[in-house]
Amino acid sequence: MSSSPSSTPVASAPGRAPAAILRLPRWLPAPAATCALLLAVPWIEPYLANTIASWLIAGLLGLSLALVWGQMGFLSLGQTALYGLGGYAGSVLAINLAPGLGNPLLLAAPFGALVGALAAAGIGWVVFYGRLGQLQGTILTYTCTLILWTASVSLNAGIGRARVGGDNGMSDIPGFVAGLGLDAPPMTPNQTLACVLVVCALVYLGCRWLMASSFGRVVQGIRHSAEKTELLGYDTRRFQLVLFAVSGAIAGLAGTLYAAWGAYISPSIFSAQEALLVPIYVLAGGIGSLAGAFLGAVLVGALSFWLGGGAAGGQATLILGLCLIALVLFAPRGLAGMAGSIARGLARQRMPSAVNASALQHASVNAEGLARIASAGPPRGRVAFDATALIKRFGGIVPVNAVSRSFAEGRAAALIGPNGAGKSSFLRCCSGQYRLDGGTITIDGRDVTRWPLFRRVQAGAGIKTQAPLVYAELSVHENLWIAAHRVARDARQAAVAADEALAAMGLQAVARLPAGSLPHGGRQWLDIAMVLIQRPRIVFLDEPAAGMSGEERRALARLLATLGSTLAVVVVEHDMEFVKQLGGHVSVLHQGQLFAEGSIDALRADERVLDIYLGRNAHVQAH
Amino acid sequence: MFKLTEASGGYGALPALDGVSLRVGRGEIVALLGRNGSGKTTTFKYIMGLLTRYGGEVRVDGQAIAHAPEARARAGIGYVPQGRHVFARLSVAENIAAAAIAHGHDPRHAIDAGLALFPALVPRVRALAGQLSGGQQQMLAIARALAIRPRLLLLDEPTEGVQPSIVGELADSLRRLPAQGLSILIAEQDLDFALGLADSAYVLHRGAIERSTTAQQLRADTSALQELLGV
Amino acid sequence: MDWNYLLQALVLALTSAAILLIATLGLGVVFGLMGVVNLAHGEFIMFGAYTALTATQHGVPFWLACVLAAAFTGVFGAAVERLLIARLYGRLLDTMLVTWGIGLVMYQCAVLLFGTVTPGIGMPLGSVRIGGGVVSSYLLVLVVIAAGLSVALYLLLTRTGYGVLARAVVQDRTTAAALGIDARRLSCITFAIGSASAGLAGAVLLPVIPAAPNMGFALAIKGFLAVVAAGPAIVSGTVLSVLSLGSGSAMVASYGSRVLGDLLFFGATLLLLCRFPLGVTQGWRLKL
Repeated sequence: MSSSPSSTPVASAPGRAPAAILRLPRWLPAPAATCALLLAVPWIEPYLANTIASWLIAGLLGLSLALVWGQMGFLSLGQTALYGLGGYAGSVLAINLAPGLGNPLLLAAPFGALVGALAAAGIGWVVFYGRLGQLQGTILTYTCTLILWTASVSLNAGIGRARVGGDNGMSDIPGFVAGLGLDAPPMTPNQTLACVLVVCALVYLGCRWLMASSFGRVVQGIRHSAEKTELLGYDTRRFQLVLFAVSGAIAGLAGTLYAAWGAYISPSIFSAQEALLVPIYVLAGGIGSLAGAFLGAVLVGALSFWLGGGAAGGQATLILGLCLIALVLFAPRGLAGMAGSIARGLARQRMPSAVNASALQHASVNAEGLARIASAGPPRGRVAFDATALIKRFGGIVPVNAVSRSFAEGRAAALIGPNGAGKSSFLRCCSGQYRLDGGTITIDGRDVTRWPLFRRVQAGAGIKTQAPLVYAELSVHENLWIAAHRVARDARQAAVAADEALAAMGLQAVARLPAGSLPHGGRQWLDIAMVLIQRPRIVFLDEPAAGMSGEERRALARLLATLGSTLAVVVVEHDMEFVKQLGGHVSVLHQGQLFAEGSIDALRADERVLDIYLGRNAHVQAH
Repeated sequence: MFKLTEASGGYGALPALDGVSLRVGRGEIVALLGRNGSGKTTTFKYIMGLLTRYGGEVRVDGQAIAHAPEARARAGIGYVPQGRHVFARLSVAENIAAAAIAHGHDPRHAIDAGLALFPALVPRVRALAGQLSGGQQQMLAIARALAIRPRLLLLDEPTEGVQPSIVGELADSLRRLPAQGLSILIAEQDLDFALGLADSAYVLHRGAIERSTTAQQLRADTSALQELLGV
Repeated sequence: MDWNYLLQALVLALTSAAILLIATLGLGVVFGLMGVVNLAHGEFIMFGAYTALTATQHGVPFWLACVLAAAFTGVFGAAVERLLIARLYGRLLDTMLVTWGIGLVMYQCAVLLFGTVTPGIGMPLGSVRIGGGVVSSYLLVLVVIAAGLSVALYLLLTRTGYGVLARAVVQDRTTAAALGIDARRLSCITFAIGSASAGLAGAVLLPVIPAAPNMGFALAIKGFLAVVAAGPAIVSGTVLSVLSLGSGSAMVASYGSRVLGDLLFFGATLLLLCRFPLGVTQGWRLKL
């Protein structure tokens, strides 16, 4: 194995990130670039400096979209609405404060940000708590922009000293001022540029910090799989709302700066054309990158500047349209993404490919270790889970037809039955993944039938879905961290718990690899570990052994049997060997109803059970 | 007439089939048996070109067919998937018509033939397919696959989710088909249903063929049955 | 209560809704059968309008010009689908962005080719008296055309082979493929139909809305909102939402102001989206 840093295979460097050519701290590029640019500012020609300032402000607007779209997966076409609202609100305040205050922008800017945040929170509440679909959410934000556009054109009103002049806009907005006193002079274009540059850098760094924090890491999880994040017990709606509010604050701030920069604001800021420009900034720079939004805005601004005319008119429109088409078709990760790929190519980094199963052969799972992790913490006491007369319908089909069952700690419970018996459906009814058409579920006497999924998980239900659901593009360690974080005190404790789980599964060697590169059995274990690391009181596992080798199945059966004494374990399985090793109480389902119960040995001897499995029934003619 | 040779495939990079070979003669009914997870549905998906192919081939009357669902359908393989997958917002008649039209056959004729085979569908012919019961949807799915005038009919778990009373009717209707030269490959967990119809059987285990035998032999060997398929 | 005014307002509401419906049906078909949000729909309408205008300027009778406009736009749409949209199957938001880009390009080309000032064509067919006021007969003809187009599309989607296949594909693409249904060819045809419908709309609306590079934009925005709010029942849902939202906002415009009417349209869409996240007709048992 070669020892040069640029070609070290990743799998042999446990716990280290892929080596880059230069070992830069990750937070360095942005402040360094800012300082470099600041030094260059005095040399720029004033008219150009003025224009560049407007590009940077547009970049800030793009950043607000990159935050919700790139980091959270929500395409908001309402960023300009928030931008305009912030701009109008901040400007009204500035105009009113101007007589008494030397530098009204210092108060107007935070005010604009606040208005933007509040408006975003309102819209976000409707979109996220209303469980709107992806497309509907985007259309809703677009509709808000259209409403503001229509309303602002005809809104003619005076607010204090400020006059919202409808189609004519609002003018005489106080601008950037160098100093605090009433006699402070207005900033020169170069000073304005420097000021805007600093603000942008600060906001950008703030966003980077936010996304690197625990909050940001969970948001990343939501982007990769909102379903999985909810299954881990997070109230995803809250995270989405907060991030959208932050995005609104940034957009509002940008709007206020824009109004101050031009001393003028008009309803055209709400136009549909402007609204659709923002995604271009983000796409041009690269949807996954926060800094890319600035890059995109500068590029688009520069393009329009060079071709003459505003960005929404002239030849620039034509080129923009062609660029947008080209970007979406050929460069979905934008120019920053392409630059990143080139850089990686130059460094001859090998992206980790699907891990060979043999590389993990020596990794053996320590069932006792995992059991210890799952049972850690204060004793949980008894858990009583009661499902009564559950019914689930799909059109004319009734997969679960009035099934009642109770689960408690003591012995693992297995659900078996022929295909179409309704085992998985029943499990999903119990876990909360399916909404019931009839029946009730109680946990410790509390009626949880109408509780949303994440609340049930928070009440102690752990759910392992039929196909292993993990964050395929995040590292194995990060997967475990997100799972552990919900029940941990802080980020560090979560990391420690994740390390423990990694050790118990023998996966330390692949801790930094994307979870999607694990073989199927490995992903099953990861999913199971993510459930157990949250120390649930009752676990629902749907075919947990699928895709595992014989030895892994034995280890899993041992684990679940051990856990069965401290938590309630409910398993749906086809593999009879596995069910035997589990040694628990077995229920047989048939055509959506409970057919028989008992130990596996008793059931083996039961003729009726053999009938439904071997299909021995009088309804078929002799051949 | 139909030959599957050394089929290997999986879901993306996840292997699921390992060198499965089987053949079905003209007018034969062949059963594909095995526990859940043994690969029955996966084999069917491979035959229909819906699975990632690692190797192997499908031949109809000696001709190798491209690995794509449309090509396999045009070669005369009719597919009745597990869970039926009827077009829920189309009526019963439109479900059958869609399949017929796609192959250039007369939809009216196909609908009449389907209703003749399954009279229970007649009162529901205008109803939306999603509103039918499990058994009715199964009948519709079979009629729909027959509308393409296939040479081989693939039936994946036809008795799943169907009431026992309807299962008998299904068996009767299916038994009439080979008389028209149609071959049937049926994957089933309901042993009596499958062995009551089939001439020969293959048993799958973990994505590979474990045994191939005649239906009579298998029915007689109860201990093997118990071991291979029972509780 | 000024009955005359009310009658005129009702007629105006009906005709406004008819205009919007003619412009929107094609969008509904494409969205309902392909899941594609075509943000360039307004520009396709403009394409049809200019085609018809150019044809009439060369002496082609108006009704024939409309047919030509539909045909040309349909072919253009098929080409766009083949070259661009087909590559983006399944990527809903990306398709939206690409179609927006196409719209930008088409808009700018129109500006370059035709400039921003265009001659209109006169309103054919004279006028009738309704309720003490005068209404152009052509507007009433538009109502008939709107109804006719809706019926035609409904029949196309339910009585023809293409219609049955297209509806099957949008419900379950995999099973449809396994039955031998070629989804790619169907998508192309669907998009062509949607485009032809847009082209027809642009041509037919020429006497009412003079051709200009941005003529389709306002119509498309409203149509687009109505379609998303309508839900999966393609024809009946679109007709319902356009009729109610369109005439409702036109009534408010008659008694209040145009701005209020627009606000009602957008506000009502907002409320509908909140109440019916997947569209108003989501749970309906109608075929279409």
